[in-house]
Amino acid sequence: MPEKKAGSEWYRLDNAGVLYSALQKETYSAIYRFSAVMDQPVDRQALQRAVDKTMPRFPTFRVRIKKGAFWYYFEPNDAPGPFVKTDISNPCQPVRFREDNGWLVRFYYYERRISVEVFHAVSDGGGALVFFKTLLTVYLREMGYTVSNTCGILDVDAPPRLEELEDAYGKYAQGKGRRAPKPGKAYQNAGTPEPFYTFNVTMGFCSVLQLKQKAKEYGVSITEYLTAVLMKVILDKQHREAPGRELPVALAIPINLRAWFPSETLRNFILTARPVIDPSLGEYTFEEVLHQVHHMLRLNMDRHKMRAELTGNVRFTKNRLLQIVPIILKNPVMALGYRVAGVRPYSGTYTNPGAFVVPPEMAPHIRRMEVILGQATIPRVHCASISYGDIMEITFAGTQQETDTERDFFRFLIRDGIAVKVESNRTQ
Amino acid sequence: MPYCVHCGVELDATATFCPLCHTQVLDPVQPPDTEAPKPFPTQRGEVAPVSKQELALLITAMLACVAVCCGILNLFLKPESGWSLYVIGVAAMLWLWLVPPLLARSMHLLLRLLVDVAAVGLYVYLIALDLNGQSWFWGLAAPIILWGGAILLLLGLVLRVYRRSAITTLTILIGSLGVFLVGVEYLIDLWLYSAWDPSWSLVVLTICVGMVIPLIIVRRIPSLRAEARKRFHV
Ligand SMILES: [Zn+2]
Repeated sequence: MPEKKAGSEWYRLDNAGVLYSALQKETYSAIYRFSAVMDQPVDRQALQRAVDKTMPRFPTFRVRIKKGAFWYYFEPNDAPGPFVKTDISNPCQPVRFREDNGWLVRFYYYERRISVEVFHAVSDGGGALVFFKTLLTVYLREMGYTVSNTCGILDVDAPPRLEELEDAYGKYAQGKGRRAPKPGKAYQNAGTPEPFYTFNVTMGFCSVLQLKQKAKEYGVSITEYLTAVLMKVILDKQHREAPGRELPVALAIPINLRAWFPSETLRNFILTARPVIDPSLGEYTFEEVLHQVHHMLRLNMDRHKMRAELTGNVRFTKNRLLQIVPIILKNPVMALGYRVAGVRPYSGTYTNPGAFVVPPEMAPHIRRMEVILGQATIPRVHCASISYGDIMEITFAGTQQETDTERDFFRFLIRDGIAVKVESNRTQ
Repeated sequence: MPYCVHCGVELDATATFCPLCHTQVLDPVQPPDTEAPKPFPTQRGEVAPVSKQELALLITAMLACVAVCCGILNLFLKPESGWSLYVIGVAAMLWLWLVPPLLARSMHLLLRLLVDVAAVGLYVYLIALDLNGQSWFWGLAAPIILWGGAILLLLGLVLRVYRRSAITTLTILIGSLGVFLVGVEYLIDLWLYSAWDPSWSLVVLTICVGMVIPLIIVRRIPSLRAEARKRFHV
């Protein structure tokens, strides 16, 4: 694979990017959205100015994706835009590489909400949040407020730094590689598909303090508590359906590797953890699920195991044989590989990028933060959460008609004594 | 603030129903707020429909190329027989089967079957023309093609309803194969002897029925169905 060519600006996709672009179809893209609900209605012109000032600071977001003979690659996008658009009721629609001037990032506004949607090959949630926080800072400055460049906000007047552009997977892929053993099939939690281009989003809001107290009662973290609630709810759902044989329930939990391997990259740097409960061993109580999740998530947080896994993944894309396969053959094979290794072994995804921390002078202008994971490759619900101040926002989003998973999830929280407010884009 | 009476969750002031359980918000004291903006936009983003034109173009080019090449070869190889017309006919038939469904975003099942059956009929008709076989075409081939089309239509409609269960699908497939073959023998007999004398097709039908009966029993009895699912992963 040719490395970066001297004199030209193109660069290779990182490992996760290779996968997400191989899955790309007219009807499906790996995409996610972050939103900030401000204290005032959004000023479109100010937001557009903020976008124009912020994009040049983030060269890894200011790209278009091109199809080479063997691999996709990114090149700088000098086309006009991206332009701020009025928001739509069905977010996270697929990107098409040749439309919208090739932009892989989109900006929307609705009333007080500012939203940014990012194609996953460009960056993971960790990188996108740095980008979004910086954009919000520039927007607030455009509105006449003074905000300092602290809490991870980048200085848009400074040139981009090389560390932000690095392929962190490549950097840490050393030593013995190990591809994770192939996990078995999990309960799929799939529902009835909605017509093309319908995307159902349901958000629940609760108090971080209440959650923290509840988690403390059980002796676990908030993420572990919410993961366990989701798994318990899916376990019970499968049990109600009374299949001939109950399959394990497993979640895909993206882990931000920056916490273990120092990197300032704004590109992808994640691995997936897979907590799993096998109901064929007997009916698990919530406490038992929680206990399992608590230990499974911690057991996998091992520097050496994680490095071996990411090295294995990198070796795989550097495989000589795979390199010479033309892209039109490679993409379907990789998409099939994803079905086997990335869809079948999981009942859903839950991601929690953690708390969104801003400088004190910025805090009064943001009411809450929201996150949406785009559609799954099959009609099932994906869960994501983000906290800001005392508001924990939990989103269930998917292309299925049924509301069972989110209904049972929020009812569970209510029964556990946590007040929940729910909003949705569903119209019936 | 409205609350869902079933879920216990707080709802937005503009909500008319609970998005979790679809229970209506009925509060005589405080009806839903119709003035305030909804929490999410109501305008849908429409994106250009999926285009399969490239694939359609590729298939068209491949079939056209085959037809042209065989036509040219025919000029030199056995020019007296016109064998290339058979290949060209197959290419035309394949085109009618494959390309219209790609171009039309959602083709109605009935229309699609009509086109497919017409394509087969046309091809066989052209062969009949070449072989001077008008009589067998109208007497035998056309009725069999129509009968096959009718069975396929029925099959398509039934499978659309019962798509979920593999056992049901198998039952219906085997059953319709038997029914189709009985019809074929009836048409052959009618054309050859002008009288129906069922023989081999009854054997086939019996075999099909024999295979279907256990499937129906398995489907009817839940414990057996669960067992079959477990063993065969269907
Ligand atoms: Zn409800």
